[in-house]
Amino acid sequence: MWAQYFEQFINGLVQGGIYALIAVGYTMVYGIIQLINFAHGEIYMFGAYFGLILITVFHIPFWIALPLAMLLCALLGMLIDYVAYRPLRTAPRLSALITAIGISIALQNLARMFWTAEPQVYPTDSLPSIFVSGLNDMGEVINVIPLPGGGTLPYRDVFILLIAVALMIILNLLIYYTRIGKAMRACAQNAVAANLMGINANRVILATFAVGSALGAVAGVMVGLSENVTPTMGYYKGVAAFAAAVLGGIGSVTGAIVGGLLIGLAEAFGADFHSGYRIAFAYIIMILVILIRPTGLFGKATSKRA
Amino acid sequence: MKDKLTPRNIILCIAICSLPWFLIGIDEISSLLDQYRINFGWPGAGYILRIIVRACLYMLLAIGLNVVCGFTGLLDLGYVAFYLIGGYTAGILMSLLDVHYLIALPLAVVHATAWGLVRGIPTLRLTGDYFAIVTFGFAELFFRIVKNETWLTGGVPNGQLRGVPAPTIPFTSISFDLNWHHYYHIIILLALVVFVTYRLQNSRVGRAWVAIREDEQAAESMGINVGRYKSLAFAVSAAIGGIGGAFLAQFQVSFSAQFFEFWESIFILCMVVLGGMGSIRGAMLGAAILGSLGEILRVALSKYPEIAGSRMLLFGLILVLLMRFRPAGLMYKKT
Repeated sequence: MWAQYFEQFINGLVQGGIYALIAVGYTMVYGIIQLINFAHGEIYMFGAYFGLILITVFHIPFWIALPLAMLLCALLGMLIDYVAYRPLRTAPRLSALITAIGISIALQNLARMFWTAEPQVYPTDSLPSIFVSGLNDMGEVINVIPLPGGGTLPYRDVFILLIAVALMIILNLLIYYTRIGKAMRACAQNAVAANLMGINANRVILATFAVGSALGAVAGVMVGLSENVTPTMGYYKGVAAFAAAVLGGIGSVTGAIVGGLLIGLAEAFGADFHSGYRIAFAYIIMILVILIRPTGLFGKATSKRA
Repeated sequence: MKDKLTPRNIILCIAICSLPWFLIGIDEISSLLDQYRINFGWPGAGYILRIIVRACLYMLLAIGLNVVCGFTGLLDLGYVAFYLIGGYTAGILMSLLDVHYLIALPLAVVHATAWGLVRGIPTLRLTGDYFAIVTFGFAELFFRIVKNETWLTGGVPNGQLRGVPAPTIPFTSISFDLNWHHYYHIIILLALVVFVTYRLQNSRVGRAWVAIREDEQAAESMGINVGRYKSLAFAVSAAIGGIGGAFLAQFQVSFSAQFFEFWESIFILCMVVLGGMGSIRGAMLGAAILGSLGEILRVALSKYPEIAGSRMLLFGLILVLLMRFRPAGLMYKKT
């Protein structure tokens, strides 16, 4: 009984790590330009496809493909900001929201055109062997950590968790101990004042998009290791990650991490109860949190925004 | 379009009312000519009429969403919940319980309105994005419920409801299931909704809504009962969504939970924003454009199969471009 709960808990943490990686992208952009960047889920999906293409078509080893996918996604995120969002900085906020939706639709269908709607998988023979868990020729279970109670934890999941934690630490260092991080925080607090202090807000926003998109790409590649890659994957994970960002308090990076983990855990335990309602538990928690504490778990109270 | 009977409005009314006959006439002529001439590959009148009905349905929904989004200025990302409630209430009543449409429609509206109020009570004190997010979560929960609770739809998975009967004239066996029937049906519903929302907009209630949108605290201090007027807006908006859902149930005959995904809310919101928030004509224009754009692109691109797959891609890009050059909507009225 408890062993089963422990297994769910570990699964939830792994899922939560992925959600946290995506949610950070939502929350960072929101923190600076108050835009719910709907295209972020699609950037994550492109990350998964970039990784897949780099590995299968260009035969690039996984350890190089991962940073390359991050780089490509960072460029994609910056391109989207430069082309679509920048001209709308002074427009009503809803127009930017609709633009984000338009970009999201366009990217999703671009992926469908390039790579068809067929689900694809990362080929196991070109991945590092420690990620390939299962039975070997001898009939032994390999590359897993046995859990108490008979369950197993693939090395792949351990890796996902480790890289998520590592990236979160790096992100926190970036935000709190570098010049650009300081500029990001300044812009999030008050963009006009930051501008007056000589911070180039547009450049900071570009950097924000780059960082968020790169983290989204990591999440995409990680998910690709164990799940199908499809053009609609960004929608499902994106919505849940968005819920995670809100749960933690949108605009707060710590909140996004905690929210991601909570959503992951809620999903894992919810699946135990009823698989169709997996994500519904996440939404219920999200709604309750907002109703009881409207700024989310870690959000700061702000003045009214229409 | 003030509600006066000017010659222009009379001509417009006649044109709208005679559209199906005109289309069917064209269809007859072209099918006659087909025997002698090359078929140009024009779509048939029934198809065009169905697209128009669909666009009219979206107009209705856009007007309903506009009540909350445009008039009271609260961003609603879960409008599809009321559409869903109306659709399933009417659909289940008609297909599984054999209730007549004329009873099912009001029941669907009442049900949707009730949920609009239920959702409204806890969200009264929320503003801006937090309100938006709660509405979004609320709609997703309803989507999950109809998707998973198979007993609701008679044991069919995925919330699929089949064989919703066409409405009949009471005590006769004449049923409304042709495309032009649907056309007049939706036109009547739409006219009703437009009339009610216009009257509301130009009344004390409408002015109170706008006051709340502009500054909630100032409105409160001017003696407007903010909670009551917001609740009224939620109720009206939800009721219109319920009407749309009930119409969809008998128009579509069979439908599934997929009709009510999150994107549908976003799609309707896009129509409202595209037309210009807070303007009924704008919402209708936006719905007419976006509601038919997908199908128009499908027909227009069918001659070029190599790019036909990029239909939705173009849709997204058009959305981006429209917002780029008309960021406040097509029919923005400065207030």
